[in-house]
This record gives sequence, C-alpha cells and structure tokens, in this order.
Amino acid sequence: MDKKLLNKKVGIPRAISYYNNYPFYYGFFNHLGIEIVLSDKTTTKIINEGCKYVVSDTCLPVKVYAGHVVNLLDKGCDVIFVPSIQSTNYKINNCSKIRGLPEIIRNVINREFIMIEPTLDKTENIDLKDFCIETARVFGISDEKLIKEAMKAGWSIYNSFLEMTQSGIPYQEALANALNRNSAKKTIDIVKPLSVVIMAHGYNLFDERISMNIIKKLEKMDVKVYTSLNVPHEKAISSIHSLGEVQYWANELELTGTAAYYLLNNKVDGVIALSAFGCGPDSLMVDEISYHCKERSMPLIHLTIDEHTGEAGFVTRLEAFVDMLMRKKRSQLEKKSDKLEKQSAEILKIRNDKVLTGTSK
Amino acid sequence: MEKEPEQIKMENKVPAKERIIAWPRMGRIDIPLKALLLSLGAKVVIPPPNSNEALEIGVRNSIEGICLPYKLNLANYIMALDKGANTLMMFQAPGSCRLGNYTKMAQKTLKSMGYEFDMVIFDMYKSKMKQTLHAFWHVTHCINPWRYYKGFSLGFNKFFAIDTAERLLFYTRPRELNKGDAEKCYNKWLKITDETNSVLKAKRLKKQIIEDFKKIPIDKDKKVPIVYLIGEFFVLLDPYTNQNIEKELGEMGVEVQRQIMFGDWLEHVLKPSIFYHKESHRERSVKYAKKYMKRAIGGECIETIGDTVYAAKHGIDGIIHISPFSCMPEIVAQNILPKVSKEEDIPILSLVLDEQTGKAGYITRIEAFIDLIKRRRMKMTNKV
Repeated sequence: MDKKLLNKKVGIPRAISYYNNYPFYYGFFNHLGIEIVLSDKTTTKIINEGCKYVVSDTCLPVKVYAGHVVNLLDKGCDVIFVPSIQSTNYKINNCSKIRGLPEIIRNVINREFIMIEPTLDKTENIDLKDFCIETARVFGISDEKLIKEAMKAGWSIYNSFLEMTQSGIPYQEALANALNRNSAKKTIDIVKPLSVVIMAHGYNLFDERISMNIIKKLEKMDVKVYTSLNVPHEKAISSIHSLGEVQYWANELELTGTAAYYLLNNKVDGVIALSAFGCGPDSLMVDEISYHCKERSMPLIHLTIDEHTGEAGFVTRLEAFVDMLMRKKRSQLEKKSDKLEKQSAEILKIRNDKVLTGTSK
Repeated sequence: MEKEPEQIKMENKVPAKERIIAWPRMGRIDIPLKALLLSLGAKVVIPPPNSNEALEIGVRNSIEGICLPYKLNLANYIMALDKGANTLMMFQAPGSCRLGNYTKMAQKTLKSMGYEFDMVIFDMYKSKMKQTLHAFWHVTHCINPWRYYKGFSLGFNKFFAIDTAERLLFYTRPRELNKGDAEKCYNKWLKITDETNSVLKAKRLKKQIIEDFKKIPIDKDKKVPIVYLIGEFFVLLDPYTNQNIEKELGEMGVEVQRQIMFGDWLEHVLKPSIFYHKESHRERSVKYAKKYMKRAIGGECIETIGDTVYAAKHGIDGIIHISPFSCMPEIVAQNILPKVSKEEDIPILSLVLDEQTGKAGYITRIEAFIDLIKRRRMKMTNKV
C-alpha cells in the first residue's frame, strides 16, 4: 500500500457532490477511522485556479471542482476523493461531466496524487454498497461488516440532515447540527409577504461565492425562500409525474422536482432558476419548467451564472423580479378586496330593495 | 436484479395505411432507410438537405441552450411535416447525453406549433433488434417476412455500399490526377445505390464501386498526410454542419480517415452479439483509452479518446476533433485530449461548431494545422 494512504486521511473537495452527500461521506469515513480534510470555501482565487486547468467550454461547477482539488493539493493532502456518480437509478443518468469527473481530474491536473474514484452506476448494477466497498478497499479495509456499519453511520447522519432541512432549517445550520449529531428543532416561522422557490443544484445554490449569497439577499428583501432541500424525494418524483413529465437526468430532480412541487401546491409567488452557463441538462429542464409556469401564469426568472458574473447586475435583476412579484401580489389583493366590496354592496342593495318593496318570501 | 426495459408507448393515431413517414437527416441515412421502408410498403417523405434555411427554422423554434443537432433535427421534422408527413421516426438511447431528451422536446414543440403527427421512437439501449422490428411493424403493419428480409438486406447492403464509396472517396480525393473525378464517381454511385431495387443487385454494389474507383487515375506514389476525423457522431456525418470538412481536407491534399461509419455502427448495434465476431469500434476504443479513461461516460467521449490513441500507435499524422458547441461528452474529451496529445505525441486540433461558425476562420485554422503536420512529417523523415 502506498505510504500516503497509511496516514488515513482523505481530502474532499468542497464542490459538486459535497453539497448533497457530505453528511453521508462524513459518517462513513469517520466510522472507518479516516480523517477528512475539506478544501477551503470557494473564493475567486479558487475559481481562477480551476479555470487554468480545464478547457474554457467546461461549465462553472467543474472549473470550481478543479480549483478545489488544487486547493487540497496545496494544503498538502494528496489523497483525494473524486466519486463518479454515473446513475442513481435504472437508466437515470447524471450529466457526462459529473460522470466523468475522475477522468477530467486525472487528465487535467498534472501533479502527483492518489485519487479515490469509486463508481456508482445502478444501470450496470453497481450500487451504493459496491461504491463503499471500493472506497474502503483503497485504504486496505476489506471487512464487510465494518463497511456495512460505516454505511449505516453515514445514513443516520444523512437522514437526520434531511429531516432537519425538510422541517425548514437552513442548509448551513442543518449541516453543522447533523455533523455534531444534534437535532435542531424548527424555530418559529416568520411570515413574509412573498415567497419564492429557487430551482438550482445544491452545488450552485449553497456555495456562497457561486450563488452570490442569493438566499440571504432574498431574505433581506423580505422574501421567503424554498429550496430543493425542503422537498422530500418521493414528493419531488410524484410532483413531476403529475406534471406529466418523466425523470431523465439523475441530478435534475433537484430542479424539476422542487419547482414542480411548489407549482402544484401554489405555495409560492414566483420561481427563480439559477443555473451555470453551459449547463446542458439545466438548459432543457429550465425550459420544461418555464413551459409549465407559463401554463399556470407563474412568474419565472432564469439567472445564469459564470465565473465573470458581476454582482451588481445580478442584484438588480433580483430586485426587479421581487418588485414585480410584489406589485402582482398587491394588485391581486386589491382585486380581491374590490370584489368583496362589490359583493357586500350588492348584498346591501338587494336587502334594501327587499325592504323597500316588501316582496321577499 | 435486472429490470426489463420499459416498452416505449408508441402513438397510434394515424391508421397504418395512411402513414407517410419522415425521419431526421443524418449523413446518408436517407438512402438505406428509404429502401427499407418502401419495401415494407410504406410511403416516405425525405426532408431537404440541411442548409442555412433549415438551420434558421430550427433555431427559431428551439431554446438557445440546446445543442446544434437538435436544432437541425427539429428543422427536418418541420420541413417534412410541411411536405405532408404524418409519422415521425427518431432513435434514442437513454443514458448517453441530451439525445435522450430530443424526442420529447420535439414532440412538445411541434404540438405547440399546431402539427398533428405520430412519433415513433427506436430505443437503442437494450434488446435492439426486437425493438427495431417492433417499431417497423408499428409504422407499416407489414407482416410478410419476405418483405422484412428484402428490406433489411437492401438497407444493410446500401449502407455498406455507401460506406465503401465514402472510404474510397477519402482515399482517392487527395491523390487524383484530374480534380473532381472522385467526387463525380461518388455522386454517381450514390445515385445508383439509391435507385437499386433488388437484393441481388444491392449485394453486388460494393464490388462494383471498388472496381469503378480503381479506374480513376491517381498518383500512387504521392506522399499524403493522413488525418483522423473524430468527434461527435452527428457532426461527423452531416456535411452541412461540419462545413464539408472532408472535402476541404481532401482538396488540400490530405487523406481523411473516419472511424465512425454509419454502417459499422448500425451493424454493431443491431446484430445480435452471437453473430457479431469482430472487435467492435467501442470495444477497441475502451481498450485503447484505458490509460486515460476508466469508464464510459456517455456520448462518443470514449471513442474519441480511444481513436486518438489508436491513431498515434498506427502512425497517423494528426487528429481533427470536431464537436457541436456545448456538447457535454465532447467537452470532457476536450479536457482529456491535450494530455493524450502530449503523451502519445500526436498533433490535435479541436474545432467547436455552432450556428455562427464562419467558414473563413475555420478554413484558416485547418490550413495552419495541415501545414504543421506537413512540416512535422518532413522533420521526421529528415531525421531518419
């Protein structure tokens, strides 16, 4: 076994699958006694570093990923966990770039390091157990019982994380609580005049540099924000089915499922689609959702981000969208109250007539 | 724990006898498929070749972010529907790339434009032959097995004839003494292939084509640099999208070789594995790409890498890699290619095509690349 692996350290880049699966990885590696080294939070420097390595046509998340890998190497961690999540269900595949992450990283970063690259491919019957066994094997762990227990530990943290987010606790707080094995309870919900759903991948939305803190910005504007973490998996699937669509991409369920769920239950006033420039699946899925939004006359704004996106322009567009939602809501309320007034006036009139003519039965 | 692939629901609004069938253009797929469908007793409409006009129609009716092949496919459908088609065919392979979304999107778009039609989908993922036969039965309701035999053997033989003609064209074009001979011969045989209507004649086509190409006077001793053309399937096969790169290269005195040939691919996809003994293109690519890629990631990414390594090991002078803009598997390939180029010592030119690609800039880059290859070759021969 390589000397580097004896340290029992593994570096996990804070990008792509980190944002959805980190609680599981944390539980799993901790149980196996492997220390996790995380890369720093995304900064402009990390993005620029990543851009140096990959071809310019590549989408932002992959550039960021490459930047994080370099960051880990700079930190002195040279065992890096780069999973290839091919498909999460039979014939439900991920996008090529996510499937080929290890291939990209292996070929673009010309430095010495060990890459742990397990594959998860349910179309080819390689499931999570094989994924975990492959990961553990690199560290010389082949005890299946231990691996099973580690998986269980991973699941328990992951599930408590999901429970918290679905009850409405924000991502960062839920993550911190889940890792400390605490369970937080939902605080009192503040009623806000507007609410929107953001349809975006976890790795775009919860990365504060990439999303430019969009959630906090919206909350400052008095808008309640729903994200993919608030919707349980089964409900996401059933919602897209009831819109008459089928799931085709594995990780697009985050977008379509969430948007569909809130479209159907009419809980929100608008939809914000946040996607990285050049994201293939997103371009189709946002179109699909915008079609359904049009049908239900639900406002939708599509914000595209790349490594150059200026913050000022971004904020302006958000503000304009929120203003528009506010105006729409106000006019709806006014119409409603007008209607009520009219109705009550009519009732009064009828009553008066009856009294005057005295022909009521 | 293998689940059975779901049978795709096929639309059945148009009665089988009134069907007029159309399909998107891709390379010369129209000739063999037409022969097959005609011998099954169906009526067909062939959309006009891809052109600026077609592209404009496609761009107007599709979203911005989708890839170029979809825009052209959609335009083909619209043009065919305008010509009276009422049944559209498309093949799809889920789990590869955005191709799997094509049919659904096209269906939605066309329905919202007010067209009425049936969409028949060929699922090329698993159990291919059964699916294909079922789809053909569905569109034609033909139950005569002799007709199926005739159709399929006509179709396949025409595919092989066209592939042969194309290969010979690539070989002859840079070497011909009278400019334009090879092209003329190729076009003549395309026409003959299209008109052939009997199985016996179709089987003889391949031989005749080889003999006819032999008659073209060529300079046999001419030292011609050889370039592999690799990349995305559709762009490689469609002369409009790739700006007829094969012809341009041939006229610059370069022999083009293309590893992706429609007939080969179809044979591999459709033939049951018991009858398929050759090493398929994919298997070969996986073998050669092993050093750089450990898993297939959809699309033609692994073929691209595998072919590059194969080319480097077989003394090919250079590689031209073409792909449509924002094609996901090819972007991964583009990321890997520089390393392959460095380690295997082979020059590679990556070209990304979109609807705005100006031809002049494109040609300049190819010319520069060819100069580089020629000089490199000269250096190598001088050294020896």
